[in-house]
Amino acid sequence: MLPLVCIFREIRRAAVHTHRKSRVTTLHQLVSTFNGVPAGLADADTIFALSSGHGRCGVAVVRVSGSASSMALRCMAGLKRRLPSPRTALLRSITDPHSKEILDRGLVLWFPGPHSFTGEDSVEFHIHGGPAVITAVLQALGSMPGMRPAEAGEFTRRAFQAGKLGLTEVEGLGDLIHAETEAQRRQALRQMSGDLERLYQGWSHRLKRCLAHVEAFIDFSEDELIEDGVLERVDSSVSTLLAEIERHLKDERRGERLRSGVHVVIAGATNAGKSSLLNTLCQRPAAIVSSIAGTTRDVVETGLDIGGFPVLLSDTAGLRDSTDLIEQEGVRRARERVQQADLTLVVVDSVLLPFEVQKAAGTLQENLTRVLPDLKQPDKDRCLLVLNKTDLLPEAQRQKLERELKGVSGLPPVCLISCQTHEGLQDFLSVLQSRVKTLCGDPLSDAPTLTQARHRAHLQQCVAALAQYQKLRDTDLALAAEGVRLALTSLGRITGKLGAEEILDIIFKDFCIGK
Amino acid sequence: MKLQPVRTIHSLVSRCISHLSRQCYDVIVVGGGHAGTEAAAAAARMGAETLLVTQKIHTIGALSCNPSLGGVGKGHLVREVDALDGLCGRAGDWAGINFSILNRSKGPAVWGPRAQLDRQRYREFIQGELRSISRLTVLEGSVEDLLVAEPSPDEPGSHRVTGISLENVLNPITASSVVLTTGTFLSGSIFVGQTTSPGGRIGDAPSSAGLSHTLKERLGLRVGRLRTGTPPRIVKESVDFALAELHPPDRRPTPFSFMNTHTRCKVEEQVPCYLTYTTPGVERVVQESLHLNCHIQQDTKGPRYCPSIESRVLRFPGRSHQVWLEPEGVTSDLLYPQGLSMTMPPEMQLRLIREIPALHRAEIHSPGYGVQYDYVCPTQLSSALQVKTTQGLFLAGQINGTTGYEEAAAQGLWAGVNAACRALSTPPVSLSRTESYIGVLIDDLVCRGVTEPYRMFTSRAEFRTALRPDNADLRLTPKGYELGCVSPSRYQEAMRVQRSLQDAMAALQALTLSTARCREKLPDVRVSESKNAALTGMELLQYKELSFETLASVFPERLSSYLEFSQRLKIEAVYKPHCDINKKEIERIQKEENMFLPQDIDYFSLPASLSQEAREILDRVRPTTLGAATRLEGITPAAVVSLYNYVQFAEKKGENGQQKTTRSK
Repeated sequence: MLPLVCIFREIRRAAVHTHRKSRVTTLHQLVSTFNGVPAGLADADTIFALSSGHGRCGVAVVRVSGSASSMALRCMAGLKRRLPSPRTALLRSITDPHSKEILDRGLVLWFPGPHSFTGEDSVEFHIHGGPAVITAVLQALGSMPGMRPAEAGEFTRRAFQAGKLGLTEVEGLGDLIHAETEAQRRQALRQMSGDLERLYQGWSHRLKRCLAHVEAFIDFSEDELIEDGVLERVDSSVSTLLAEIERHLKDERRGERLRSGVHVVIAGATNAGKSSLLNTLCQRPAAIVSSIAGTTRDVVETGLDIGGFPVLLSDTAGLRDSTDLIEQEGVRRARERVQQADLTLVVVDSVLLPFEVQKAAGTLQENLTRVLPDLKQPDKDRCLLVLNKTDLLPEAQRQKLERELKGVSGLPPVCLISCQTHEGLQDFLSVLQSRVKTLCGDPLSDAPTLTQARHRAHLQQCVAALAQYQKLRDTDLALAAEGVRLALTSLGRITGKLGAEEILDIIFKDFCIGK
Repeated sequence: MKLQPVRTIHSLVSRCISHLSRQCYDVIVVGGGHAGTEAAAAAARMGAETLLVTQKIHTIGALSCNPSLGGVGKGHLVREVDALDGLCGRAGDWAGINFSILNRSKGPAVWGPRAQLDRQRYREFIQGELRSISRLTVLEGSVEDLLVAEPSPDEPGSHRVTGISLENVLNPITASSVVLTTGTFLSGSIFVGQTTSPGGRIGDAPSSAGLSHTLKERLGLRVGRLRTGTPPRIVKESVDFALAELHPPDRRPTPFSFMNTHTRCKVEEQVPCYLTYTTPGVERVVQESLHLNCHIQQDTKGPRYCPSIESRVLRFPGRSHQVWLEPEGVTSDLLYPQGLSMTMPPEMQLRLIREIPALHRAEIHSPGYGVQYDYVCPTQLSSALQVKTTQGLFLAGQINGTTGYEEAAAQGLWAGVNAACRALSTPPVSLSRTESYIGVLIDDLVCRGVTEPYRMFTSRAEFRTALRPDNADLRLTPKGYELGCVSPSRYQEAMRVQRSLQDAMAALQALTLSTARCREKLPDVRVSESKNAALTGMELLQYKELSFETLASVFPERLSSYLEFSQRLKIEAVYKPHCDINKKEIERIQKEENMFLPQDIDYFSLPASLSQEAREILDRVRPTTLGAATRLEGITPAAVVSLYNYVQFAEKKGENGQQKTTRSK
């Protein structure tokens, strides 16, 4: 037999060559032919990942491998002309390729192929180990064309395939790969909340049925009695799935929140003390405060650090029907903000609450509905009720409210504070902090952001592939089916592998195939 | 290109062993069905002195079951067999009496070329072809047993097959390779109602008990049992066609073969099919006859996709099932009721068919029956279709657990090629699942095995958009020519096509139009407004509404010389971006398929970090390449890396003259 390593290298060189050539046509043609199918779907060849340990650490290493590595290095390390000398550390500002915003200052290293771990062109970014920095750099890499997060074990796999791993290096690698792929996938799946896992599995299951039905239609409908409307049912399943996945992608923006800040909006009736709350929270008179109802007319924004998490706090105009044109606009903006908010603080003047607790709860509910008209049950996690001006209440009434409102079902958490005396502020802050923390995800636990970034990329691919189905369904069902296959493969990267036999099993269960 | 007529050159066909010119051949093929004829023809084309042994010379090329060839997935196989210069595509063009492309509206990757065949003409063509092939001898006789000898020490394996012995003949015939294509004849039993009789097809004797014994006991091959069935044949003039739907064929028959531009059957000579449906009465008869039906009561695995009418109504009760009434030939008085395979007693069969509107007064010519037979678990084969533990023994067709003429023909051809390779002392060859449906078929068989009769579906091919019926010649003919199983004339034709397509695509790529000019020259093409860049001819052809003919009429000086390939160019243009996407995945798989695993590894003592489960799987299946190992169920990436590690390690040691860890003999 020929020495395998030599063969691999030859194949790899050939592959790299054709790959570079085909890349241009692929992207170009995709753009011209398949509007709406992102290029990332076509060419997912350059991979990146956090290679150092997860969690807070001094220095983190982000590794990039593949033909677009040099492009990534140029764009993110501000190297216009020349690449650095191979394998030499260089201190650079690392910037977002689009916004040019500086993300960190760190070392970059350039490993041109084949003299790299994977045998391909590779780049390493040595950056500060804070979760926000890491997430920012990973997201910046992911935003460039042709780049995607690495599959578990993919660097090693590439190195292995390029014949880069010698005898001693391969020693024990088996376990490593094993740990990195199957176990890690399972672990990642376990890490997700039960609901999320069920959700992904459910999607995967539905998509399998879609694929099986499309395949049944392709392989059998000419000879067999595949009942009417099979494809139409697939169409509607695909549309529903697409909408659900897209909504999910929009909802779960924890990574982005961590980078750009959690949007917290203060809303409520006029004169409830919203601006006072803003000023209290940011410890400076950022907004004008007066006893005149309707003082705040535009949105006042300020950045805050709450327990280490970035928060973008907005104070809005009090909600009321007004004939004043400017105030009307202010109310419209306030409503818009509330729509986009990650968390809404509904401020209520506690003095205006009825004495009886049941009635008070009813009033609070009215306040809530006025601010968040389409509030649904689960979204109650997305708002807090802040009862302000408790310094004006008799002590007995304050205690009664505090004691008894907590038990009222259907209400979001209630905090009683006084912006005047700062009474109850500590409690409120700790509630707020825990909310913000939930919204960001906890970067200190076992790498949820990385896992989720991977999942996110797969889900995005899934969405793009389903769009391909919809686009090509009437022109070429074989190509459209590729879209569903691709979607399922993407989802399968989260939920587990899928074989042709599984699809055939569904076909034969659902249809009477007789020819 | 003209359709080749049946040749009448007389070659060696003998009913008597004493007429044979020799007692020693390169390749012996046992069986004259679809697998056997392709195997014998391919081996002879490769240059091997070949002997085809069959029980009855006049049933060579017989269509034992349905009178049709091709279809979705199966049509892909026919085109690939033809691209490798096999027989069935050309035979189909000669014998077809009703041609249609299935899935016409679903995209060229899944088009299914199919034809209804005239049984008589098909047999004539195959027999004529076999007669015209030099180095091929056909002998009528029954094989009694295989000759088994000690293995050659240079190859892996614990036995070696050196030839065959014939019933009632003293002297054995020897060969370097033997290809068994015994179909359903291995321990075959026929079922009608409550009676069973030995045999693989009504009217023919089963294969010898000696052969079956040798495979199982001496060679130690694991076998399983499968079942199949065939419907009763109906007397045509007893059918009330007014109560069935007429299904005319395509208006222009499309030939299977890349070498044919037209079929023998003219457009107006084509014979239609009819469609009718089962009624609740059919279900009633099935229920009433269950206790009289041995075949259906046993739980031998039958196919889920070609079930008998009994299993159809049992599994999907309360439905109406399709029944196709297919012509058996231009002059035949019979009809083949596709979908009515059944094993109940003949009188019940008559009652059943008369419950179907168009068959209310139909007569049965010969009743349907079921067959149960042994198959050899195909995971014991290499990708060259050779039994891994037995040097020189190749298996193809239903004996490997497949169903269908096309699946049999494909395996037969590939087994024939490899049997010849062995006889001519060249290394075995395999086809990748990334380049052909034949590769998918063989890889599925040898890696996964079968649990029910295996049939090809397009959904089995991962790279369906690249493995299309239209481009089988480009994919396989050059490779086949290199191996020696493709004639120079076919190769030259394929090369001409390839060059023309390449030139045409270069011309299309060079043809660039600004969007404004597109709108002016091609007003019917809805080029989207957003595109400012110029479009190439290739990109323009991706628009559904633009045909190559239209484009060529606008730019005749550049394109009109390629009009012959209009359809192929349109398909190439539409599929190219998708095929490019697949390219990297294909390369990855091919890399892994190029890493060979020694066949004599002792997986149990292998000093690698492998789980006991992985060792057992590897030992049982003995994958030939790392790629095949990755597709085995239960083999983890970790195990694959360990294997890779071992192969490198063993090689280095081997180079230093040290001993490898090999299985002790």
